This record gives sequence, structure tokens and C-alpha cells, in this order.
Amino acid sequence: MWTPLMRCVTALFFGPVREVVGAGALTLEVNPPFTGDAAFDALAGRFPALRAWRGSLRLAVNREYVPFERVLDAGDEISFLPPVSGG
Amino acid sequence: MVAITQDPIDVALILRGLAGGRTGGIDVFIGVVRDTNEGKSVAAIEYTAYVPMAEEQMRRIETEIRERWPAGDITIVHRIGLLRVGEIAVVTAAGAPHRAEAFEACRYAIERVKADVPIWKKEFAPAPD
Repeated sequence: MWTPLMRCVTALFFGPVREVVGAGALTLEVNPPFTGDAAFDALAGRFPALRAWRGSLRLAVNREYVPFERVLDAGDEISFLPPVSGG
Repeated sequence: MVAITQDPIDVALILRGLAGGRTGGIDVFIGVVRDTNEGKSVAAIEYTAYVPMAEEQMRRIETEIRERWPAGDITIVHRIGLLRVGEIAVVTAAGAPHRAEAFEACRYAIERVKADVPIWKKEFAPAPD
């Protein structure tokens, strides 16, 4: 059975995380096991300053909060959201 | 009704939308930009949002409120962009037949907004003298 080596997702960045990454959106290649955690590791490999944020981030996949263990599909819109501060 | 807007929030318009019919009372929370935060002077706050997700989260909160207080109605509006001290950033307004449900639903709405709606603020200090 053919297995893709990686999956591409669109990662969006907001608030202070956007300032760390220096961009609003990136295409991200996620290696197996294709989870939110794996996507975060891929991103933190490029932007090491993100590691300090890991404990306070929430993951959204296709605009829904999900656990970091969530398995991603190719084409998903993901975002690692810093603590919200509306109001 | 829920909305994210770049424009100033018109509280009177929101109240007109809730008054009438079976509404016997309206409770309103208005969040405004404050001149200090954690001991630092603030001149303005820039609010940014993950707009499509923020709108979905606000609609979810609206649905929760309609399920918990079915006789009432709720309006949630959050402004984004650069706001100066004193400007209105958010309004939650709950109408209900009686005041108890209006107070409860309004409080529930703003607490849920602050917990889960993906909006962020960045504070700007006044220019030095």
C-alpha cells in the first residue's frame, strides 16, 4: 500500500505567535504520524522561539479546537493559537 | 445576532434589536479600552482575530445561550482594529422575559467570549513626552 511520506497543511498564525513566525500563513509539511504534535515539531524546527509557547497554545483544525493528538488530513487549515485576549 | 466589526459599535442599535415582544429586561455588558494594563499606561489597543473561527465560536455561544435560556435572545458584537482609550471593544446584550435570565445569559456570554473566541489584543503605550 502506498503511504505518503508527508502531508501538506496550511498553518495560520495570529497574535504574538504571528510575530514569532513573521508571517500570517505558511504551507507546512507534516511527517508521520501526521498529528498536531508533529506539525508543531515541524514548525518549531523552523522557528525555535515557538517552543517556549508550547504549554500555552491551543490547536485549531479547520476552525475547531482539537487536541494536539488529532491526526491531520492533507489540506487541513491548522492554527496554533496563543491565549485569547478579547473583551 | 453575533458579529465582528471594524466599525464603532452602536449600543442603541443593539438594544433596539432586543427590545419588544416578550422581552421584559435587557442586561448589557460593555467592554471598553482602559488606560492601564498590569501597571503600564495604555493609549490604544489593536484587536486582531481569526475572523472565520471567531464568528463560528460566537455562533456556538449564541446557540448554547438559546438552549439554556430559550425564552431570551442574545447579541454579541466584538470590534477589531485599533481602538483608543474609552472606545467600546465588545458588547454582550441579553434580553429575556425577566431580569434573572438576562443577567445570567449576559454574564455567560462575556465569560465564554473571553475564554474561547480567537481574538487577541496588543497594547500600545502613549508616545513619550
